[in-house]
Amino acid sequence: MSARVGIIGIGQSNFQARRNDASYPDLVREAVTVALGDAKLDFDGIEAVVYSLSPDAMVGIGNAERIGVDAVGARNKRFLRINTGGATGISSVAAAYYHVAAGACDVVLTAGADKVGECGDSQTVLNKIWDPTYERQLPLGTINMLAMSAVRYMDKYGMTEEDMARVVVKNRMQASKNPHAHLKKPTTVEEVFKSRYISWPIKLFDCCPQSSGGCAMVLASERYIKERNLDAVWITGVGHCSETYYIGDRMGTGYTADHADAYALRGSFVRAFKMAGITKPRDQVDVAELYAPFSNTEFHSIEAAGLAELGQSPAMLREGQFQLGGKIPVNPSGGVLCTNAIAVTAMVRVAEIALQVWDRAGGHQVAGAKRGIASGNGGDHQFFGTMVVEA
Amino acid sequence: MPYVARTGVVGVAIMPSVTGRERSLEELLYHVTQLALRDAGMTIDDIDGIVVASNDQLDGRAISIMAASAAVGGVDRDILSTPSAGEHAFVMGALRVATGQYRTQLVVSWSPTEAAPFHEAQHLAADPYYHRKLPLDEVSSHALQASALLSSVPGVEAMAKKVAEKNRQNGRGAYPEQTGRSENAIKVPWPLDAGMVSPPVTGAVALVLASEEYVNEHPDLPVAWISGMGWATEAAYLGDRDLAQASSLAEAARQAYGEAGIADPVGAFEVAEVADATPYQELLAYEALGLAPRAEWGARLDDGTFGPGGKLPVNLSGGALSLNPVYCTGLIRIAEIARRVLGRDGANTRTGLAHAASGFAMQYNTVVVLRRGEQGAAA
Amino acid sequence: MSTELLMRQETWNITYTHALGETASWFYVQLRDHAKLYGKRDAKSGRVLIPPRSFSDQTLEPTTDWVEVGPGGVIETFSIVYEEFNGLPPPPYAFGYVKLDGADTAIGGYFKGVDLSDPKAASAKLKIGTRVTTKFAEKRAGDVLDFWFESDAG
Repeated sequence: MSARVGIIGIGQSNFQARRNDASYPDLVREAVTVALGDAKLDFDGIEAVVYSLSPDAMVGIGNAERIGVDAVGARNKRFLRINTGGATGISSVAAAYYHVAAGACDVVLTAGADKVGECGDSQTVLNKIWDPTYERQLPLGTINMLAMSAVRYMDKYGMTEEDMARVVVKNRMQASKNPHAHLKKPTTVEEVFKSRYISWPIKLFDCCPQSSGGCAMVLASERYIKERNLDAVWITGVGHCSETYYIGDRMGTGYTADHADAYALRGSFVRAFKMAGITKPRDQVDVAELYAPFSNTEFHSIEAAGLAELGQSPAMLREGQFQLGGKIPVNPSGGVLCTNAIAVTAMVRVAEIALQVWDRAGGHQVAGAKRGIASGNGGDHQFFGTMVVEA
Repeated sequence: MPYVARTGVVGVAIMPSVTGRERSLEELLYHVTQLALRDAGMTIDDIDGIVVASNDQLDGRAISIMAASAAVGGVDRDILSTPSAGEHAFVMGALRVATGQYRTQLVVSWSPTEAAPFHEAQHLAADPYYHRKLPLDEVSSHALQASALLSSVPGVEAMAKKVAEKNRQNGRGAYPEQTGRSENAIKVPWPLDAGMVSPPVTGAVALVLASEEYVNEHPDLPVAWISGMGWATEAAYLGDRDLAQASSLAEAARQAYGEAGIADPVGAFEVAEVADATPYQELLAYEALGLAPRAEWGARLDDGTFGPGGKLPVNLSGGALSLNPVYCTGLIRIAEIARRVLGRDGANTRTGLAHAASGFAMQYNTVVVLRRGEQGAAA
Repeated sequence: MSTELLMRQETWNITYTHALGETASWFYVQLRDHAKLYGKRDAKSGRVLIPPRSFSDQTLEPTTDWVEVGPGGVIETFSIVYEEFNGLPPPPYAFGYVKLDGADTAIGGYFKGVDLSDPKAASAKLKIGTRVTTKFAEKRAGDVLDFWFESDAG
């Protein structure tokens, strides 16, 4: 079995709606500079780079990783790009992990950025994720696609719009303690209900923002870390799993994945937990950063992570189990609901968990957190990446 | 070898030129995947993980791994994509097996010709800050590279013509049905001409990788071990590069040869496939791969070193100069070498060298050294 | 560094001609010429897939026989869109997925004939499990907009 892989440096932007002062590669470099400073390394110390970038069209540059090469200092180095849609960020950390775990490299950088606010047509771009044969002529977008998940979850387990609003209130409160978060203003259930419907039952406040900013992480081999006596936290579990492309196949009769739930996210967690030796996540996980760009999707993500039985998470959230100070805080950073720079959103999940178990999360620190889990979702609720990070 | 687990190629399927409209893209990917699995003597149930690579702008699909996932068996499986290059999917798949955490990986890449204008789909890779207003696409970047060589290597145009003739001749032998049949005419910028660039065709390629543990459990399974692998990239802006050099290819070769324990690459291989979007790229590859410095290009072409029957035949498949499924030509170079080292052509090839390049003027370079496993050799 | 910050607008403009392949082509020809919907059976699982695929992504086996499905069915999920998005239709509109009689999977389409002005009332009319009937356009182009669903309850 391969040796452990550690995280030795983290950098993220203070995410916001627009960054007119910085080009796309400038934003990547901003996060890289912070991560290298955190790892006390310069570019010479980096052997390989995994570039994190979801659809090209979102930044408006084809193969935009190519102009990112210099932003990540990859000239004449090992370099490749990962894209699994919204899961890209966590898949990129996983890819960097494989570089080290395979023995190919001792120190690997993964980085990226997004400027979603510069894409005037993000739902139009995201409509193009559906196949041109059958589904694209429908007005599918990521919002109504997950609204349809909410409808099924409501029907199956009795979730209400008020339950959804409680997720928003919790995450906004938590984001208010996180300087990197984009939406930092606390809100109330009443305010969420006053916001307009985007795609029933999802209202404006149930939606993530379009964020600009970057994220970068430095991973290193156990040998490298031990030899230099570095401070690190450890990736102990990695998993990926996917489900069918066709939303209509997640319903009807005889299906395996229900569009109400996050079937393959569970499959992905099963893989990561097996690797990390986690058998009872409710008892063994201290903190979770789960990819949930719309309030309703936090529920099925909590359940897929094994932190609640199917359909039980709304009641448990109501009891305060998943807020800061609760049994297992979920998205103490404010989560995707408060910050979504698509290309790195799922990397921020891993970065935030690493900061938590490192006891470096600051105002939104979960006291005594030693083991955390992170997830990323991509495609049309199709690709799922998960990770376990430990002190 | 620095890797935790030894990794080999055990299955290959190459569709370098697909015509007709009987199959949708998804159906083409299903087909090529099934062919590769069959070639490896596997079913999809034997596959632990998948890495695919494609280009959203050529596919006309955002996150085009999504549509592919169903076709290549991604449902319930662990699938990643490396849209930077088809050959990067191979690197990622190999790294995953090399961790010892996976027994097998399926690697798939493809390149359709459904976008029009094709060059515009590539032009979108010109950044909006300094280059979008320029008529930059892949062919024009290759032309700039050729131009840089013309001004620094005397007589290089004649050498390039010889390389093109060699590869086209090889292509007519390797793929007699497909070669020269593309309906997609392209405008070729100076100093290139129609004899030095092949028009885009639709293509797909799939490989199956397996760990030493898997191979040991299947003693009759022929295997092409990855004995060295390197990959490196050039700077982003063409203006920052010396286009008459391929420094990142030299670096990728250094990595791969280091792992494979190759000190003198001349004579270390029986076959090679190298990037040849233009013949100038093949010439640059001779040098950066340590096969022939530029001062010897003319002599080596004259003495047939790189021709069929020569000391090191290069691009016996005909290369991209014969069949050019643009985005997946890189992974096809690796697959062509794997096919030969696996003995699928009936010859007794033991070692092969593959070079893949992608991006403007060979921005990304990948080098793979494959060696035939002793087991299964007699089978 | 203090400078005037410039912006530049760029548009992508590429046309794609996607081959639909034999299976989808046959499906759309039946829809266009005969106003009928067909699924294709995955012999290994016995499930009828609609929209029809030439292979099942679950079993990875080729599908075999064609099965006519619908026109009746039940709503499996829906959404009602109230926000305008560039390139998508003017709101409000309702669409979602229906399991047609005889099929095992659901196919996407618009729901018509429902007053969408009040979200609560409209969502109650489109509740999961509601019986619907497929309606076909007079002039059909051979795409999924040739049909839509209307609730049997009116």
